Amino acid sequence: MHLAEAVAEIGSLLDAGVVIVDADAIVTHWNDWLVRATGIQRADVVGRRLCSCGVALNTTAMVAVDQAIQGSVVVLSHAFHGWFLDARPAAGFDRYERMQQSARLLPLRDEGTAAGAAIFIEDVTERVAREADLRTAVGLARAAEAGKSQFFAGMSHELRTPIGAIAGYADLMEAGMFGPVTEEQRERLRRITGVAQHLEHIVNDILSFARVDAGREEVELVDTDAVVLAQEAIAAVEPLAVQKGLKLASRYAAPVMPMRTDAVKVRQILINLLGNAVKFTAKGSVELEVARTGDGRSLSFSVLDTGPGIAPADLGAIFDPFVRGTPRNASRPGTGLGLAVSRGFARLLGGDVAATSELAIGSRFTATIPA
Amino acid sequence: MLSENAMDALSELFNVGLHRAAASLSSITGQPIVVDRPKLVICEVSDIERPLAELVGGEIATVHQIFGGAVAGDAVLLIEHEKAAALARLMTGGEAAAGGRLDQSGREVLVEIGNIVLGACLSGFGDMLKVPVSLSVPRIHIDSLRTILASLVGDGEVAQFAVIVSTRFRLSQLAVDGYMIIAVGAKSLNLISTTLGVG
Repeated sequence: MHLAEAVAEIGSLLDAGVVIVDADAIVTHWNDWLVRATGIQRADVVGRRLCSCGVALNTTAMVAVDQAIQGSVVVLSHAFHGWFLDARPAAGFDRYERMQQSARLLPLRDEGTAAGAAIFIEDVTERVAREADLRTAVGLARAAEAGKSQFFAGMSHELRTPIGAIAGYADLMEAGMFGPVTEEQRERLRRITGVAQHLEHIVNDILSFARVDAGREEVELVDTDAVVLAQEAIAAVEPLAVQKGLKLASRYAAPVMPMRTDAVKVRQILINLLGNAVKFTAKGSVELEVARTGDGRSLSFSVLDTGPGIAPADLGAIFDPFVRGTPRNASRPGTGLGLAVSRGFARLLGGDVAATSELAIGSRFTATIPA
Repeated sequence: MLSENAMDALSELFNVGLHRAAASLSSITGQPIVVDRPKLVICEVSDIERPLAELVGGEIATVHQIFGGAVAGDAVLLIEHEKAAALARLMTGGEAAAGGRLDQSGREVLVEIGNIVLGACLSGFGDMLKVPVSLSVPRIHIDSLRTILASLVGDGEVAQFAVIVSTRFRLSQLAVDGYMIIAVGAKSLNLISTTLGVG
């Protein structure tokens, strides 16, 4: 059996179009798959030159046939060329004018001399349609995600201005700028200022989350000291801890722990973790431990509390935005963004935040940040 | 293994081949694609992992073609998987978003790119030796460097020498480092060396 006959025999077993041409590009084999796909009968093409037998070939295909006859292996991928020869797409793929194809062309040699080429054509229309649908779905999801972040950022900016005005006017009224204020009025004005500050905090959380989520948050590395950052964070939450009668403690592995990081973000992470611990702990203590990790490359900031703990079922989701653990936490102030922002910041710095917890015993949140 | 002059001549052979490949790819994609002048290293196949491990890491996408004729061996185009996916996307009019994997169409595109690049370079051997060099059907693999290197075959049972060719494909928005390994036996390396006339 000649090589071309053997290839034709093997080709008949494949779910692919198989054309064999001789050294003069005359068709010697045209399999059933091609008869079905093109509607062109074997008798109409065999014995005639491929490029002049009525089969519409892509321009690239004609060049490729010549190259293969001259001895080159040629691969024509659908993504570059679309199709090899004109054939109808299968039912259900009318969005394509032609069947989408990939082809491989192999030179045939007979005792060292060029004897033609074998062409294998694969129908990839279904796969191409599936990949296109997937790309469209991913594009839409990305657009929706970007739209969400833009909405948050825009909304937050719009809210900050009136909140600032409310707090500012309340301050001015309390200071007597618009006339005398009674003690009862002063107390109400202080409440307005307090609520405005709380609203501003929430808006800042949303803005931070939107920036991290959209990949627009930038990192500014500076040489700093982990102990100083920890002390600043402790000072920020101390008033609330004192008000609730909680013991607030800190432990450092060394008096000075230098690190090169974005100090503003690390401080914010610590304030968020400590603030949460103080917020959710009714009695007992909140403690901050700062240590070097085992490999010495990072610093770990662990916040331990004696709060109610987090149910194992909730632990996996607490870093998701707007998740706030059990329903009993719903009455506590906050957006559920603090942990999402903290983890986003930590990951931006090359670290992470993790949590362990035991119900009725307490929780431990650990931020690991490269030094 | 090869004299300095022979290395220069071999380097020029690959340089010409890569530029022919870049011209073909530019024509197919309709966008300018250029390649940097290649750098060559020749070593024994048993020593190939260390220099390559300094160049590529993680999952590697390879297009692999065995070649035969007067010079025979194994030719592999290597690109880090994520970069290969970005290259395939950009060449087909997509975006070079970071990350991502080669889907089935991306794999076909990489096979076509590999076939063009390897074919253009190896045909240089044929032109130099004035004998045809035949190539097998290209195959794509995505695997670790070690697994890929273990599969190299030469003109005998096992390749003894490897030419490592480093270059960089540049498109409008992207520069991707690509590497070729041409693994050959001692007989083929001797023939190349002799034909270059200065070995």
